[in-house]
Amino acid sequence: MAEYVNLVRRAFGQIGGHGGVRGFLLQLFRVNDVKIGTLIGDKKHYFFGRHRWVIYTTEMNGKKTLWEVDGSMVPAEWHRWLHCMTDDPPTTHPPEPKKFLAEIHQFNVSGTSQQYVPYSTTRKKIYEWVPPKAGAQ
Amino acid sequence: RISSVMASTAASRAAVSAAKVVKPILSRDLDEAKRRVRELYRAWYREIPNTVAMFQLDITTRQGRDKVREMFDKNKHVTDPRVIDMLVIKGKMELQETIHIWKQKTHIMRYFHETQEPRPADFLSKFYRGHDP
Amino acid sequence: MLRLPTIGRALAGAAKGSLAPSNTVRTAVRAASNMVEVFVDGKPLEVEPGTTVLQACEKAGIQIPRFCYHERLSVAGNCRMCLVEIEKAPKPVAACAMPVMKGWNILTNSEKTRKAREGVMEFLLANHPLDCPICDQGGECDLQDQSMQFGSDRSRFSEGKRAVEDKNIGPLIKTIMTRCIQCTRCVRFASEIAGVEDLGTTGRGHNLQIGTYVEKMFMSELSGNVIDVCPVGALTSKPYAFTARPWETRKTESIDVLDAVGSNIVVSTRGGEVMRVLPRLNEDVNEEWISDKTRFAYDGLKRQRLTQPMVKDASGQLTPTTWEDALTRVAGALQSVQGNDVAAVAGGMVDAEALVCLKDLLNRLDSENLCTEELFPMAGAGTDLRSNYLLNSRIAGIEDCDLLLLVGTNPRYEAPLFNARIRKSWLHNEMNIAMVGHKVDLSYSYDHLGEDTSVLKELANGTHPFCKVLSAAKRPVVVVGSSALQRQDGAAILGTVSTIAQNARTSSGVEEGWKVLNVLHRVASQVAALDLGYKAGVDAIRRNPPKVLFLLGADAGCITRADLPKESLIIYQGHHGDLGAPMADIILPGAAYTEKNGTYVNTEGRSQHTRVAVTAPGMAREDWRVIRAVSELAGVTLPYDSLEEVRSRLAEVAPNLVRYDDVEDANYFKQATELAKAVNQDLLAAPLVPPQVTVKDFYMTDSISRASQTMAKCVKAVTEGAAAVDEPSVC
Repeated sequence: MAEYVNLVRRAFGQIGGHGGVRGFLLQLFRVNDVKIGTLIGDKKHYFFGRHRWVIYTTEMNGKKTLWEVDGSMVPAEWHRWLHCMTDDPPTTHPPEPKKFLAEIHQFNVSGTSQQYVPYSTTRKKIYEWVPPKAGAQ
Repeated sequence: RISSVMASTAASRAAVSAAKVVKPILSRDLDEAKRRVRELYRAWYREIPNTVAMFQLDITTRQGRDKVREMFDKNKHVTDPRVIDMLVIKGKMELQETIHIWKQKTHIMRYFHETQEPRPADFLSKFYRGHDP
Repeated sequence: MLRLPTIGRALAGAAKGSLAPSNTVRTAVRAASNMVEVFVDGKPLEVEPGTTVLQACEKAGIQIPRFCYHERLSVAGNCRMCLVEIEKAPKPVAACAMPVMKGWNILTNSEKTRKAREGVMEFLLANHPLDCPICDQGGECDLQDQSMQFGSDRSRFSEGKRAVEDKNIGPLIKTIMTRCIQCTRCVRFASEIAGVEDLGTTGRGHNLQIGTYVEKMFMSELSGNVIDVCPVGALTSKPYAFTARPWETRKTESIDVLDAVGSNIVVSTRGGEVMRVLPRLNEDVNEEWISDKTRFAYDGLKRQRLTQPMVKDASGQLTPTTWEDALTRVAGALQSVQGNDVAAVAGGMVDAEALVCLKDLLNRLDSENLCTEELFPMAGAGTDLRSNYLLNSRIAGIEDCDLLLLVGTNPRYEAPLFNARIRKSWLHNEMNIAMVGHKVDLSYSYDHLGEDTSVLKELANGTHPFCKVLSAAKRPVVVVGSSALQRQDGAAILGTVSTIAQNARTSSGVEEGWKVLNVLHRVASQVAALDLGYKAGVDAIRRNPPKVLFLLGADAGCITRADLPKESLIIYQGHHGDLGAPMADIILPGAAYTEKNGTYVNTEGRSQHTRVAVTAPGMAREDWRVIRAVSELAGVTLPYDSLEEVRSRLAEVAPNLVRYDDVEDANYFKQATELAKAVNQDLLAAPLVPPQVTVKDFYMTDSISRASQTMAKCVKAVTEGAAAVDEPSVC
């Protein structure tokens, strides 16, 4: 009996932990493979592989990410913890400061207008004439 | 007897000089050769729906069969049984390659000349196209 | 012999008589009776007395290795590479400087000869750096080739090598003086051919160095030729440095169009890019030299190019467009005009094919308003008599003349190769030269008769003291510069000069075929345009401005927007965005001379043709094709589709234009003089000053050389000194 009571309590805990019924439903639809935003923490109840997760933030780098979430939104230091490369979350073991580490984490911009496009560095063989601006004469 | 123009001049010369004595390839006379052509045509006709499905061609069965008819009609004028036999053999090889999917989609579609652009012939289109056509 | 510079004089004393037959100056053929019989490797051979051993071997078909000997330069005999054994002679002799004697047996491949060559080669290589892999001469180096052929296969040299400081002698020639083998070819070239005493040797023996004594620029319009003359990599081309290897370039034989001489050139290309321009041998035109502009202005072909058709949009800005659009607009404009409402101006670098196409197109529109940018007096005989506007004596013909009168020209910068011929004749044939016009440095001495037109008048009516000299001349030649004929009183000058020429002709009693009057043009297309019946000068257009003006490579700025009514349409077709393109409403990109098969007629009337070395950049097309396409859209289709058909059309109009490498004679001087007398024009008092007076005016004269950075560097180096031009630090 106590088992079922516990189950119901955990179910309500889920609803409470996600910010009420509305938050819970929202979260249900936003469910994806991995999410970041707030550390929920280690849940001992869940089996390995499901015991660490993230809830993505709704706004990152000036972009609305309520529905468009991306794996690269996870910062590097959390990535290690999330993928069980380490058991120490960066909240207790902050990463060693390195000058190549970004101050603010940037997500992947591939496929957007800010993506890197390689360009040719060879010299042009022919330089064409550029007509003078109309007003300049 | 040979009367009309044939596709291959070499074959025609050989046929004219020794029409009676040459060894037949498959057929002894024109009727037999025609029968072989009909058989090949039927085989192609039956195979076309299968081909369209297997190769996932973007054409209808009707278009495929029209193309087969066109290819056969192209050699309508040939009356030498030896030449006909040779053409039938070649047609069978094509058919076999199609049935066994030794060909690829692009080889089938080559019959339709979709990507072939005609070379420019007049001065202006040559001019627009490039430096020295 | 007095005019020969010091080296030549010294050597002329040592090997008397060896000089005269060694050069190609025409001399009367000696009688065959006093020929000398010699033996080359046992084979008997008859040669003229005074022939050197090296020339005798050459005649027998055997090449003697050499470094310092060059057939167009005086003999120095200091490299010792041409040592050969003479039978019964105690020591090997230097073949280049030793005249043959009767009965000598020259052994060109004996043990002693080979040993001598090997020894000389070993000494030469002792101080030559082993930098062939990074040397620009690699692959076309005489030292490299001859050390492979005649040198030893191993080195006995273990000491340190000598090193020489490099000199900065201008933005064209790169010096790596450590590589120098002191053949002194460059010194002899500078003092004999180019006529500048800039280069010389300092020091003796181990310390001998070639240089300009003080740090200065090697200031000559022919300076680039020392690169070809240098047998090693000591003098190489600065713009070409480290860009290509001779074996990876594709060579195309072509013609230069940057001046009116029509020098024969080889265009080296790699990957659709012109890498360099080299001279090609043509004894009648440029011998084996080319001017610096010809050689180094090729980088102008890669800058400021018109690569796509352009039209002016509503705001008046030229914007790129397609051929279809541009051609339709041109055709539409041409369809709406007839007769005098359409006119064309041809520039200085247009090929005869394009000229004849344009003429046919405009004639079909009932217009005869076809002009060239270069002016030529149309009064009197004008351009109707071909002899009136040609360099009738021909370039090589200068070597036969004994008195040359230059009028209002500076051949040194207007036609450097023609000037080199004059200098050669002055040096070897004792030719006298006189000049009416601005006093300029021509690299040889001349009588300056004054720069006023009154001198011409006096010469014509025989009151000038120089007339005595003129009438005593056996083979006189008068050369008038095209710039002198472009003044207001051009017709009067031409009339006066032709009177002078005619008088000199009668007094000299020279044979009928000898021509006296010559015109020296400055642009390559002029003679072909006049042959095809173009009007010289744009006056006709200024007088009745057309509604549609077609500029075919017209970049001299003769006609501007201000000369035309506001609503008129200007079409520019050409290869560079220079002066013509910015004022145009529609731009049609054409091909430059390295990118088309074009016929050009040089100032002596010699028809030659260029060949395609690279394809035209971007959407540019050959010029005649563009005009042909326009004609089709305008509804007046020209009846030719291929180059052959255009050339057969050329042959219909002017058959001499397609007889390549042939000069069509013209000889109607008497009639021209008669007609010129009818001209009622007075000579103006203004002095005769050619537009190119000093060397800095030489480099940038047309749309290609104006776009060239190398030429800009030259102008900077000339005005501010060689050190002012900053070069990349890589050496």
